[in-house]
Amino acid sequence: MMASMVPSGSRDGQPLVLKGVDPETCMIVFKNHWAQVVKILEKHDPLRSSSTLASLGAIGLGAGSSGASRFGPTIPGDEASAVQNYVEHMLLLLMEEESGQAGAMGPILEFVVMENVMERLFVWSLRREFTDDMKLEQLKMYEMLVGQSRQPLLHHKPVLRPLMMLLSSCSGTAAPAVEAQLVLLLHQLCCVLAKDPSILELFFHTSEDQGAANFLIFSLLIPFIHREGTVGQQARDALLLIMALSAENERVARHVAENTYFCPVLATGLSGLYSSLPTKLEVPSEEWHCLHKEEWLRLPSLVQFLNSLEFCNAVIQLTLEEVMTTTAYLDLFLRSVTEPALLQTFLSFILLHQHEGVYILDTLVSRINTPFQLGTVSLALFRTLISLYCEDVMLQLVLKYLIPCNHMMLSQRRVVRERDFYSASAAKILALTPSCCSPDRSPPPLRQLDSILFSKHGETAKNSSNTDEGSGFSEEGDGSGNSCTIGSEIYLDVSYLHYLYDARLSISSCIRACRVWSAPYDGESPPPEKYQPGVLEEPAADARQTLKRVPPLLGPPRPRPPGKEPPSIAQLELEWDDSFDACPVQAADAPVDPKPPQPPSSEPPKHIQEMMRSAIKVVKGSYIEESDFQDDVLVYDLIAQKDASEVEQTSDEPGGSPSDEAQPGSADVSLKNGLCLTLPTAVTADGGKNGLNAKVKGQTDCNGNLQSAVDSSDDLLSQYEELIRTLVGEAGGKQAITEGEARKSVTAATEEEEEEEEEEEMDFTSYTAETPEPEKPQSPFGSVQRFRSGSSKGSYAVPFTGPFMSVLLSRLENMLSNTLHVNLLLTGILAQLAAYPQPLLRSFLLNTNLVFQPTVRSLYQVLATVKNQIEELAACRKDFTEKITVAQHWLLAREASFITADRSSGGGSGQHEAGRILKNSPPPKPKDISLDQTDVFATVLFSEFLKELAAIAQEHSVLSHIPMEE
Amino acid sequence: MNLNPFWSMSANTSRKRSDEEQSGHTDQRASPARTHFSKKVLPPIPKNATPFTKPALMGPAAHTANGTHASYGPFYLEYSLLAEFTLVIKQKLPGIYVQPSYKSALMWFGVIFIRHGLYQDGVFKFTVYIPDNYPDGECPKLVFDIPVFHPLVDPVSGELDVRRAFTKWRRNHNHIWQVLMYARTVFYKINTTEPLNPEAAVLYEKDVQLFKSKVVDSVKLCNSHLFDQPKIDDPYAISFSPWNPAVHEEAKERMFTHKRRPEDHHKGTQVSGLSWVKPGSTQPFSKEDGPPQS
Repeated sequence: MMASMVPSGSRDGQPLVLKGVDPETCMIVFKNHWAQVVKILEKHDPLRSSSTLASLGAIGLGAGSSGASRFGPTIPGDEASAVQNYVEHMLLLLMEEESGQAGAMGPILEFVVMENVMERLFVWSLRREFTDDMKLEQLKMYEMLVGQSRQPLLHHKPVLRPLMMLLSSCSGTAAPAVEAQLVLLLHQLCCVLAKDPSILELFFHTSEDQGAANFLIFSLLIPFIHREGTVGQQARDALLLIMALSAENERVARHVAENTYFCPVLATGLSGLYSSLPTKLEVPSEEWHCLHKEEWLRLPSLVQFLNSLEFCNAVIQLTLEEVMTTTAYLDLFLRSVTEPALLQTFLSFILLHQHEGVYILDTLVSRINTPFQLGTVSLALFRTLISLYCEDVMLQLVLKYLIPCNHMMLSQRRVVRERDFYSASAAKILALTPSCCSPDRSPPPLRQLDSILFSKHGETAKNSSNTDEGSGFSEEGDGSGNSCTIGSEIYLDVSYLHYLYDARLSISSCIRACRVWSAPYDGESPPPEKYQPGVLEEPAADARQTLKRVPPLLGPPRPRPPGKEPPSIAQLELEWDDSFDACPVQAADAPVDPKPPQPPSSEPPKHIQEMMRSAIKVVKGSYIEESDFQDDVLVYDLIAQKDASEVEQTSDEPGGSPSDEAQPGSADVSLKNGLCLTLPTAVTADGGKNGLNAKVKGQTDCNGNLQSAVDSSDDLLSQYEELIRTLVGEAGGKQAITEGEARKSVTAATEEEEEEEEEEEMDFTSYTAETPEPEKPQSPFGSVQRFRSGSSKGSYAVPFTGPFMSVLLSRLENMLSNTLHVNLLLTGILAQLAAYPQPLLRSFLLNTNLVFQPTVRSLYQVLATVKNQIEELAACRKDFTEKITVAQHWLLAREASFITADRSSGGGSGQHEAGRILKNSPPPKPKDISLDQTDVFATVLFSEFLKELAAIAQEHSVLSHIPMEE
Repeated sequence: MNLNPFWSMSANTSRKRSDEEQSGHTDQRASPARTHFSKKVLPPIPKNATPFTKPALMGPAAHTANGTHASYGPFYLEYSLLAEFTLVIKQKLPGIYVQPSYKSALMWFGVIFIRHGLYQDGVFKFTVYIPDNYPDGECPKLVFDIPVFHPLVDPVSGELDVRRAFTKWRRNHNHIWQVLMYARTVFYKINTTEPLNPEAAVLYEKDVQLFKSKVVDSVKLCNSHLFDQPKIDDPYAISFSPWNPAVHEEAKERMFTHKRRPEDHHKGTQVSGLSWVKPGSTQPFSKEDGPPQS
């Protein structure tokens, strides 16, 4: 048996107790032992004891003799075990040694370092046959040393170097026992690193000695992360420790991202992993929506981390609860990874990966609208996503739908970049404050009796405590009688100051963060004309991405036998694609051809089937089965439009009856389930030819593919088609009118801008109202634009601002029945979105003057709807105002407790949602109110949300226009 | 006609083109800390201040904005003025510096440097008064601290006839920077119609030489009062002081070297966004594989 260097004493459960033994004695014993070991070592050292020839001969002999080592002559058993015994004792002594004064090395450690004990032992064992057993023993030895030593050992190169050599010699090992021990040691090392990151540098340096800037620990761990059982667990735990480290250490982060296989391994994912993960989380409370640190620390962390990835593949098979769990994991992952390259890997997976033809992202978006806690958890995930300030994410979620500017009247594009000089939007938003929440009606603790002294004259007034003085303040100043201040007797809502302050912080950090973005998204860059592709249509590069994954089917589509694979999504995408480089054959006529080739198909793709199923449910107005709402993204699209058209009809009601709207040939489109929608069929003149835009085209393509073969769903699909077509027709009809209305303001805007641009030599008389304004061309875009819009009318996409906005707004509309936490998340997300400086997004969310296409629902519209709901509620419930007061108090108390908790836990970046509630008022006595009264809480939240939005709008009017160059 | 080049001014808020000013040096010691666009905009709320009433001025300001709650009226006003101010900064008006007063956002202090023409070397301090129902009221007033000898400047009050250029102040159309620009223009292009100072107008028409010498005297007079205490007692009033190397040298140094705002490099608030979008593309992750920008 080879020499084992592990002290058996500690393994037998009878550790030698050295306490009380005098350090000097220990040192003497250690030195003695080492002298004995060295004697044996040198005796068998070919370089020392014998000539090169002899050593060669010895090796030759050794090789000749059966079972001998390749490295050297066989060492007699008694000598080997003698070394083992000595080393055992020595290690024990080393382990037990306390460090010297002020962290100096203890004498034994110093000796170990000076004499290079560890390295010599390692080299010695290398010289002998380095079997798995040997490795095992050595790994155990280091594991023990690292884990139990009383003084830091890894700081010393003579200890670290042999350890690294050992580790690298183990890199290819296959024996499970060695692997287990290796991972255990690696985990141990990671723990040490996590505690003392200063060692990290040494690991890098030591690796460099070996010729490669390689973070060995990390590389060694990677192969184990998908393992089942404890090995995998430990490897993942260890990796998570390193990931945590990478958040602080740039070098580690860079290394992980650039020099290791971690990203690919991560991105690939392994389906086997999922089975070993916990599929259920204990949900602690109703409020729960994401994994907090305390929670996931209790769980094997990396499991979640990987689970989040796996979830993408396993998504369809999961039950509701599992989906929720994995979504929470996903959120956790996004929150814990900070290294951009890692995030890139992960985000690209979410944004670009498709499952059965549906983007993971879209699936996630659709979950927002699910009832139950899954919706809440999904909201939390998106809050995390949009707070990354990641252009790619924002592009996919919102911006790509806004770039074409189809959501607004053509004439309105200029307004996108306009500055709201006089807080008109803020005023309009605040005007939605329900009467029961008006600041004038707030109870004393909320209503600030202090007024903001807009001028500092308040001080004067206070000092003299004389109101005459106050009223005479306009005479102050230079005595010339110029009034320069305004009165401050109005009760100001002081809480609003906090919102302004928060808005300022939020916007300015957003502006800073977005400096790395590729474009300003201001309605000019990227140019709307260039990116007219509709919504469902996948633009060029996307198709290219797909092509990379799925080989394009360029040949004529072959009939598909029943029951076989659904049509390739890549193929469908190519049909909608108007890029010329991705696929020349089909792209040549793709953008104009209203009827692209329809590959015959006998069965709808699975996701379409799912879509139809969910659609029925959505149209019925409720979700029934928990697990059945996958792949309903496309349906949201339709629902959003249906909603929009309903809103429109409602708003038309006071003026004329809805039937006025109806065009000749109005037909009842009744859906299978009995729900009846009266929709004008309004087939416009060109409707038959190219009335369907790109987006709809995409949908009808799908539908068209199916129509012949699908019997049961044929009806429903055709109804959808009908629905879409009518929506298009309606939009087209209204466009003309509103465009005319909108033109006026644009003309004004044009002038303003032009005048702003004028320099030095301007004619001041032009500022007078009397001077007639020079006629401006009607369209600021010139004839080219008009021509374009005219000619491409058919391909003018149905205005749609994307499933994400649509889902958010539809949840917001139901604010009164949402739980408090859903509403907090929802308003938090919208406020965060509103803080983005990109004019497209900003104008869409906050500019109340922008004229949208009739089918586009704006945030303001939805807020107005909610306000009306609240007013109705307040009117018919006597105790409503009273309840609101109670809820306000409760929320304030909650807020106060958060602040306290935040402070006591040492601050940190708490959830900002709390900032929404008034901060400054004295904490009131919390009275009991049931959280079930969602409408009451929602009302309070609503009025606070209005302030938050208004504050953001106001800050934008200043911040987003400060020139950056200075 | 050379001025003492060694003066300084305390306009630290609206400094523009500092390098142009051959002798412009900031003097920040007199200013209370009101950081440039980085702090709360509204003045702090005095604790337990008793609200005082002044009904006369209540109406217009509070109800301008779409009939919303009066409580927010002042916020709208303040932000409108802030927006105006950022617009002034954006314009980079040559030789004009303004700074809102500490006491009221409706009062701005300014100074204008005339670099050539009849009024060359003139340094005129002025105050802008903005009506409290801005932007729906009259156009702002601009009053020179010392009445400059000029056909359009009232010889007694020092007020510039601004209204002739802005007979009706129109929201969204007229901006305060235009008033400032106008104030500069009148010194380069003399207009004598309907003068506020008929003497100056007549002289300009009839006896340009005498007019010129009167202008020179006026400029001298203004500049001789340069180091006077600000006319209005306000922490943010613009004040000049003789060149003092101990105070000004460092500030000057900073002016010439300091290009970027310090907050750009402020560590605590460092936030970085992410983008893998190739410029000119609208595709996520369209950038060639490389180190991600951050």
